[in-house]
Amino acid sequence: MFNLKNTSIKNNFRLLILLISITFKTYSFQIRNDSIKVWLEKSNNELDLNSKKLYLEKSYSSIVNNKLPYPLELSTIAYSYYKLKDNINFLRVNKDALELSKKTNHLYAIGDSYWNYATYYIDKEIRDKAYSNFYEAHKAFQANNSHYENATVIFGMSRIKGFYRDYIGSEILIIKSIEIFKKINDYKNLYKCYNHLALIFVDIKNYSKALQYYDKASFFLKKIQSKKLRKKYFTSLYNDIGLIYLKTNKFQKALSYFEKVFDYENLKTEDLSRYARAIDNKYYCLLSMGNNLKDVENKFLFALKIRDSIKNKAGVLTSKIHISDYYKLANDKSNAIKYAKEANTLAKELKNGRDYLTSLKQLANLDTKNSKKYLDRYIEFNDSLISAERRAQNKFTRIEFETDEYIEETKRLSEQQIWIFIASISTLLILSLLYFLRVQKVKNEKLQLEAEQQKANEEVYVLTLQQQAKLEEERIKERNRISAELHDGILGKLFGTRMNMGFLGMQMDGGTQEKHQNFLDELQEVEKEIRDVSHRLSENFDDTTVSFVTIVAQLLKDKSIIGNFNYTFSKDKAIVWKQLNEITKANIYRIIQEALQNIIKHANAKNVILEFSIQQQQLQITLKDDGVGFDVKKSKKGIGLKNIKTRVEKLSGTLTYTSTMLEGTALYINIPYTP
Amino acid sequence: MLVKNYNALLIDDHPLIAEAYKSAFNYVENQDEYIKFHIQTAIDCDSAYEIITDYASSDKKLDIVFLDMRLPPSKDKTILSGEDLGIKLNELLPATKIIVSTTFNDNYRVHSILKNIDPDGFLVKNDLTPQELVQAITEVLNDPPFYSKTVMKLLRNEVSSDYLLDDIDRKIIYELSTGLMTKDLPDKVHLSLRAIEKRKRQLKKIFDIDSSDDRELILIAKDKGFI
Repeated sequence: MFNLKNTSIKNNFRLLILLISITFKTYSFQIRNDSIKVWLEKSNNELDLNSKKLYLEKSYSSIVNNKLPYPLELSTIAYSYYKLKDNINFLRVNKDALELSKKTNHLYAIGDSYWNYATYYIDKEIRDKAYSNFYEAHKAFQANNSHYENATVIFGMSRIKGFYRDYIGSEILIIKSIEIFKKINDYKNLYKCYNHLALIFVDIKNYSKALQYYDKASFFLKKIQSKKLRKKYFTSLYNDIGLIYLKTNKFQKALSYFEKVFDYENLKTEDLSRYARAIDNKYYCLLSMGNNLKDVENKFLFALKIRDSIKNKAGVLTSKIHISDYYKLANDKSNAIKYAKEANTLAKELKNGRDYLTSLKQLANLDTKNSKKYLDRYIEFNDSLISAERRAQNKFTRIEFETDEYIEETKRLSEQQIWIFIASISTLLILSLLYFLRVQKVKNEKLQLEAEQQKANEEVYVLTLQQQAKLEEERIKERNRISAELHDGILGKLFGTRMNMGFLGMQMDGGTQEKHQNFLDELQEVEKEIRDVSHRLSENFDDTTVSFVTIVAQLLKDKSIIGNFNYTFSKDKAIVWKQLNEITKANIYRIIQEALQNIIKHANAKNVILEFSIQQQQLQITLKDDGVGFDVKKSKKGIGLKNIKTRVEKLSGTLTYTSTMLEGTALYINIPYTP
Repeated sequence: MLVKNYNALLIDDHPLIAEAYKSAFNYVENQDEYIKFHIQTAIDCDSAYEIITDYASSDKKLDIVFLDMRLPPSKDKTILSGEDLGIKLNELLPATKIIVSTTFNDNYRVHSILKNIDPDGFLVKNDLTPQELVQAITEVLNDPPFYSKTVMKLLRNEVSSDYLLDDIDRKIIYELSTGLMTKDLPDKVHLSLRAIEKRKRQLKKIFDIDSSDDRELILIAKDKGFI
């Protein structure tokens, strides 16, 4: 019932695609491509079969031998072979075309190759294989966004499903196809689709719905530009509509539609099979109406003759069934049986299940003797047909399902891959973050440790200073104590002794008294000396400033030995070191230490001057050297200078420095000083 | 001729020194038969003060006192030194002649003693010889005052000085010279820190010192004989 050959669709499109594809080829292949194009064109135009094949072979070997990336051209060659009914070459080339297209991932060519296969299998009536190839083509075209091709192959699938009476499946597919054709305004195919849809409803005997779809089909048909094509399709459409009215016993209406078919003037010259069908249908309608029995027989036989002459076997089959019907009505049983038997054989040959069944039914009715045999065969065949259809339907479902499953699996895998990717990226991120944090933490700990170390150093220094101060204090106390002891105790006793001895001496005689007096004077001298010693001991205020300055001086001395430089150390007497707190002194000490270290390390100086002075409530520390100096602008601040700066800032002081290359560096530090 | 009786009190924590003074009084007695000394000794502030109050409450007259400056303080800590005792003596027995005998020879202390006690005799133990001691006793009894050479020098220095320093100024400088810090001075001088700072600045101006250091001040003050 369905016309499964969609070769013409392919044919027209083929050239267009070829032209497009050629324009897109890279320039380096242009010349070769041009020659291939020329050969293909020639093969198309040549009338001689052999030269056509020659050109095709030339193109094919040119592509394959030179390993050119032209899968679409290959599939075109394959299709050309198919058209020339050279199946061996078709299969060979199409196989290469599919392989090459897959290799080059040329989606359109993949679809095209599968489409070739599908067309070939439909021709061979191996419909399940055709279906799976259509399905592959559909996938490729859909992926490539080739709407027309996609819709066309879906249409092909729908028709196969319709053939196996999977009406719902077929309907779903055809609607899919219609949607796409609507998008690209392909009226011809829309007409065909609606026509097909109507046929489905005819098959399920929903005639009103079928008529509706024919209406739709005719709506799109009217939009077709080509008048000739429009007329051709309308004849077909009228025939189909007529058949519906025939089936619903609206003979008058059916007849009017069948008559309309003859309005197409070129019918007889252009399309004999349709012409025969038109006659056959018209007179079958008239027969059903019970008219002109004699005329009907002639016309039936005439149609049969035409169909026979053009080897339209399906038409012959229909004709024979109709003729059998006629003889049955005309009570010519033997003829009726004869045509029914012939129809039965032909139906079997054509594997036309429905007509086979119809003929069996007819035979069962006519041949009463063998009625049971025919009925049994009818039932058996009907069952086998149904189960075959079911098998086919199942197979299609499996094809789709398996592919769906495959798609699902791929999707799942790709999702899994994405998840793995995301997981690994995030793990990596987390790990690097952790690493970063760890590094940071270690750094922080190190810094903290350093800071603590520094603090501890300072504390130790402060403690040392304090200890020294305490020691000094104790020393002073002890000196004072010794001084007091000398002064009060010893001097007092000496004084008392001297006085008493003096009075004793007054009672002596002249000479002895004089000597005695001399000793007393001597004793007084001793007293004086002791007093002086005592005083010197208690004169302690001189010593109080000693500690810090001596420490700095010692530092300078030590570093000068290491750095091999001479030094000058001057300090303003007005600076009361006692009044600076220990922390400040500790920091000043460290600053000087650091700066001297810098001088030793980098400056290579011969002379270093350290100066403490007071200027406007500021303690100024000046450290100059005559070393190599550094570029103040360019040089990145070293750790030494940075440390000095930090310390100065801690004392809320300011740091400035000047440096001249090869002449030396001067460091000026000002710290608030309020005595 | 009537024998003259003198009551004498010797206050010194060194028994040897007290013995020396006794020898001196004996010597004077031996020299002049009409003079007789009645001598008592005290070795600390408490015993001395007891004797002094005894005299003050009776009609007996205390004629002469040898007063050491450095004495063990009284138990109730009201009398801390010979200086305090001298002041008490002046209050209780104004007629009594006081001979301060001390080892102090620094200007500040000497000045302070002169000012506070105004003694009839001022002996610096370092200078003192037996002859001088005897001379001191006779002169104080007959024609006071008698000052040791060191004291005389100081007085001369002070008179000729251009600087006008009051007691507080002196005390500030003196305390600084003992190693005291400015911030501890308010306890000793009974002035606010600001007032002390102001005085210090004034003192530096007087002595023409630009250093903020106290050391200079002390050295100059010492040089000029203020401490």
